[in-house]
Formats: sequence, C-alpha cells, structure tokens
Amino acid sequence: MHSPITCWSFVLVLAAATARGQDRAGDSIEAGRRIYAAQCAACHGLRGEGQPDWDRANAAGELPAPPHDSEGHTWKHSDAMLYHLVRDGWRDPYNKTQRLTMPAFGQTLAPGEIHDVIEYLKTMWTPDQTRFQQEESRQAPFPPEAR
Amino acid sequence: MALVAGLLGLQAVVVGARAAQSNRGGTVALAFDQASQTLFKARADAVYRSGDGGRHWAPVELPPASAPRTITAIAVSAGGNGALYVAGPGIGVLRSDDGGRNWSARKEGLPGTDVAAFATHADRPETIYAYVNGNGIYRSEDGGQHWRLMDAGPRGGITRFVHSNMPGSMQSGWLFVAGPQGVRRAMDCFCGWRDAGELGRAVDAVAYDPGQPHNVYAATDAGLFFSTDGGEKWSLLNTPGTPIEALIVTPGGTLYAAGADGSLFRRSGAANRWERMDA
Repeated sequence: MHSPITCWSFVLVLAAATARGQDRAGDSIEAGRRIYAAQCAACHGLRGEGQPDWDRANAAGELPAPPHDSEGHTWKHSDAMLYHLVRDGWRDPYNKTQRLTMPAFGQTLAPGEIHDVIEYLKTMWTPDQTRFQQEESRQAPFPPEAR
Repeated sequence: MALVAGLLGLQAVVVGARAAQSNRGGTVALAFDQASQTLFKARADAVYRSGDGGRHWAPVELPPASAPRTITAIAVSAGGNGALYVAGPGIGVLRSDDGGRNWSARKEGLPGTDVAAFATHADRPETIYAYVNGNGIYRSEDGGQHWRLMDAGPRGGITRFVHSNMPGSMQSGWLFVAGPQGVRRAMDCFCGWRDAGELGRAVDAVAYDPGQPHNVYAATDAGLFFSTDGGEKWSLLNTPGTPIEALIVTPGGTLYAAGADGSLFRRSGAANRWERMDA
C-alpha cells in the first residue's frame, strides 16, 4: 500500500517529465520552423504549399518541389527516409537535367537540425496522416545521430 | 460444391497434358518461381504449373469456392521462400507455402475480396500489394497477415501491376501499373503517379526484366511494347499474332507471353525470336 504522499510525488514527477518533454518538442518544432523558413521555404513554399503542378515534370524534365502540407506526400515517408532525403538529397531517375531533384543538406544542417525541421513538417499534416507516418516510422525511426 | 468438384476432376484428367489441351480459355496471369524453375499460369478459373518452361502443365488445386470467383493474378514471393499467391474478385488473396497443396486466406485488414490486381515485392519476400476495387492499394509486410491502405491508386484504376526494383526510388522500388490509360508508375512510397511515356491506349499486362530493371514490357491490343528506360519511350516489338494478355520475365531474362487464345510464347534475351511453347 503506497502512501498518498508517495502517489502524489509520482504524479508530480510524471507531470514534470511530461511538461519537459512537451517543452523539448515545442522547442524542436520552433527551431525547425526557423530552419524551414531559411532553407526550405524558397522551394517548398512558406506554408509548405509546394510549387504549382508539382506532380508532373516541367519542361526541363524536373519534378517541381512538392508540398509538405496535407496535400503532398511527405507524410507517407518514415522518419528515417525523410532524414536521409534531407541529408543526402535525391535525384529522380527521370530527371533530364544534371541537377539533384532534392538538394542535399548534409553539409548545411546538423543532424539535430534536420530532425527539427522534420518535426516542424509534421505540424502541417492531418491527424490521420500523422498516425500513418508514425506507423511508417515505427520500423524506420530517425537514425541514432539525429535522435 | 459439385461444380468445384467437377472442375477439380477435370483438372485431374489433364495432368501432364499439353498446354493446348489443358488451356481452354485465355491465360490471365503468369508467374515464375526461380528457386524451383517453375512457371505458373492462371486462367480465370484455374491455376497450372509447368516445370519445363510451359511445354507440359499440371493443375494446382485451389480451395473449394463458396461464392463466384475470378482469378486475376498469381505471383511468387521474392527471395526463394516459395510462397505462391492467387488473387482476384471473390477470392481476395490466397497464399500457399507448399507449392499449392494448402492455402490460407490473407484478409486481415482488407475491406473485402474484390481484389482486382496483386503483386509481390521484387526483393522483400513478405511484402505484397493488393489493389481492391473502389478502395485502393493495400500493402502487407508480413505476407498478407495484416494489410494497410497505402494509396487510392492511379486515376482510371488498375488492370495489372508489378513491383520493380529499378533503381532511383526514394523507398525500395517502383510500381508499374497497366490500366485503361496506359502504363503509370509510382515509387513504392506512393509519392504520386506519373504516366510512363505516352502509350495512350489501354494496357492489358505489364512486366519488367529483373536482371535489367529499366526494361519494361506492356501488352496492348496494338501489340507488345518495349521500353529500355523505365517506361519513358516505347517501341513496338515483333510479336506473335495473338493479342497478349499476360507477361512475365524470368530472372534469367526469358520473356513469356500468353495469348488471349491460351497460347504461350517465350523469347530469350539472346535469341531475338519467339518460340511457341504449347504447340
């Protein structure tokens, strides 16, 4: 039998830990928002709306930057895949130019910054999309250097 | 039940018979098991196996049907574990791990049995895809024990589809879809469907070469088209006269094409000519 004082202490510790976790998550999202505005918004839009006709190749044979909001497909990717896409970039094999389709940011952003910007992207999704992405990430979480 | 028993009885009679005798009606799907070098073919109502490249066929028995059913797909899992799948409307997805002697329904998470198309992952033995009419594409990563809706699928629907390990995907491969408007493709993260070239006509079957994944084949009523760049540009192949309804390319590069009249042809990469297997 636990005393009321012990139980209340446990509740308070748990509440403090939860609050600290929420603070950290909030800090991460806020940091991610600033990074997004500086590094990503020029192509993907200030509100994550992407470029027009993003789902078809343009005249140069490149795919325009897709939206990150609920209209796009970012929410379909696991944390691990999003991290590697931002760090290493990606080239659409049907891209007819010499450029990467998605530039690599591994030399520009630290692992924790990439994590933060991905956490910010998650604020643009619907609850169902968020749940889907959490499921995808269960087997493919952020790599250790970005946790 | 009596009808099923009758069909099974008919199948028993034709064991070992040549394909021309056993294959009345068109072949709707082909599959190849690399480990056992077994070729499978499906008609709408039956499945057969051949250990000699399609010269002789033996029936593969399916569980008795309690309702009308139509086979639209057969596929073998990647990696040599030998899992054989049969799918279609009224069937859902059936899996056999013993070469077709015993079957189990794989339906947890699927909205019904109206499976119009089915594909196995090119490299991952337990990852499979099913397109359910009116719902979309479902993926299972445990051999069909649990399914999850991944995408609504391309506009126009899906007649057949195949998973390809062509490089360049954000995830693990690509899906090439045959449909009323041609071939469409998407990375297997389902990050958007794009037209694969400009075939501009209905495609009945699509296949890719596992050894050269940029090589893709598409069967249409105007003939068999071939692409060497992952479906960007297509050229018409010299083909047998019959309309092609099903295609498969073995890991060794042999292309099998089944005609609407039940005929079967093959064409190896080295010999640029068709060989009729059921004549």
